[in-house]
Amino acid sequence: MKEGDSTEELTNELLEQLTCQTVFEIPIFGGIAVDEAVVVTWIIMAVLTVLSIVFVRNLKVENPGKVQLALESVITWGSDFFEGIIGKSNRRYVPWLMTVALYLAVANLIGLAGFKPPTKDLNVTAALAIMSMILIEYSGIHKNGLKHWCVHFAKPVPVVAPIMLMEIVIRPLSLCMRLFGNMLGGFVVMELVKAVVPFLVPIPLSFYFDIFDGLLQAYVFVFLTALFMNEEME
Amino acid sequence: MLRIDFNLVLTMINLVILFLILRKFLFRPIMNIMEKREAMISDGLKNAEDSQNQALELKSQYEEKLKGAGEESSQMIERARQEAKAEYDRILQDAGAEADRLMKSARETVDIEREQALRDMKSQVASLAMEAARKVLMDEGPGAGGRTAYDQFLKEAGDPHDRTEE
Repeated sequence: MKEGDSTEELTNELLEQLTCQTVFEIPIFGGIAVDEAVVVTWIIMAVLTVLSIVFVRNLKVENPGKVQLALESVITWGSDFFEGIIGKSNRRYVPWLMTVALYLAVANLIGLAGFKPPTKDLNVTAALAIMSMILIEYSGIHKNGLKHWCVHFAKPVPVVAPIMLMEIVIRPLSLCMRLFGNMLGGFVVMELVKAVVPFLVPIPLSFYFDIFDGLLQAYVFVFLTALFMNEEME
Repeated sequence: MLRIDFNLVLTMINLVILFLILRKFLFRPIMNIMEKREAMISDGLKNAEDSQNQALELKSQYEEKLKGAGEESSQMIERARQEAKAEYDRILQDAGAEADRLMKSARETVDIEREQALRDMKSQVASLAMEAARKVLMDEGPGAGGRTAYDQFLKEAGDPHDRTEE
């Protein structure tokens, strides 16, 4: 086997892994192609829903069981974390942030279960970023009013107004690209390592790229979203 | 990989649906249960505080009552002492009056007896004098000598009282 052949083979395999395959088409509006990422998201949603229903049964005010205690401490930890950033008065946004964090954590780790992580698809990260953008601007308008939102672009001096306006798009763009790039890069690096040394070496690297990086990116995404919201609500 | 199409919208819809599902099945129930527990705990603390306050109030009431009882008992003792004193005084006074009365009656009896004795003596003296006079008269016969002897006798034996009585 020539070296060129094996490289080409690897490239093809990587490209195939990276391409978002269309699973099926919904036969309306001239056919809507439904990607793998969306289907995997549906699977994640189903799993999360079933787990929620299973674990959240039989909640007790007194003498909670071990499962309930664990669940409560996780939720408390999450809500304390977000309330610490956006303030106790804005706790209504906390469930959304926790939902995104949970979804991202599961989506980034689902590669371990053999699925293609949805976050490797630009559609998904873009959708998440657009939702974050909407939330960031909505929280600012809801808190300080539309007039203040319009005026605040010209502060502290009107010269910065173009930059402030660009920030509306730059913030979600950076969120989107950071998440997408990290997941894609991690995946590519892992594939290359596996192609070069398929034995033992990928294990510690897999812990870093598949597990740690995935959780870290989930954390960074919701952390920055909360931070931007807090900035907007000042 | 690098294409943006309708899947973006699908993903956004998915996210919103996931949010609604998780809020209904995960966050709301757990937050509710934790709020309930918090309310229960704060209720319990409040109840404990209330009962403590009540107990303290009762305690102060009892202390007040106890103090009142002490005062009342000391008042009672004081009153009893005063009554006893009054009784004592009265008895003492009665005894004094009785003693006075006894003394007075005794003195009266003594006076009466002395008067009686005096009267007896006077009558005896008179008879003696008569006897003596008769004797003198019989010895010397009637005359001035007898008369002077009688006067002399009277002078020697008589009492100023007797003269006034005579």
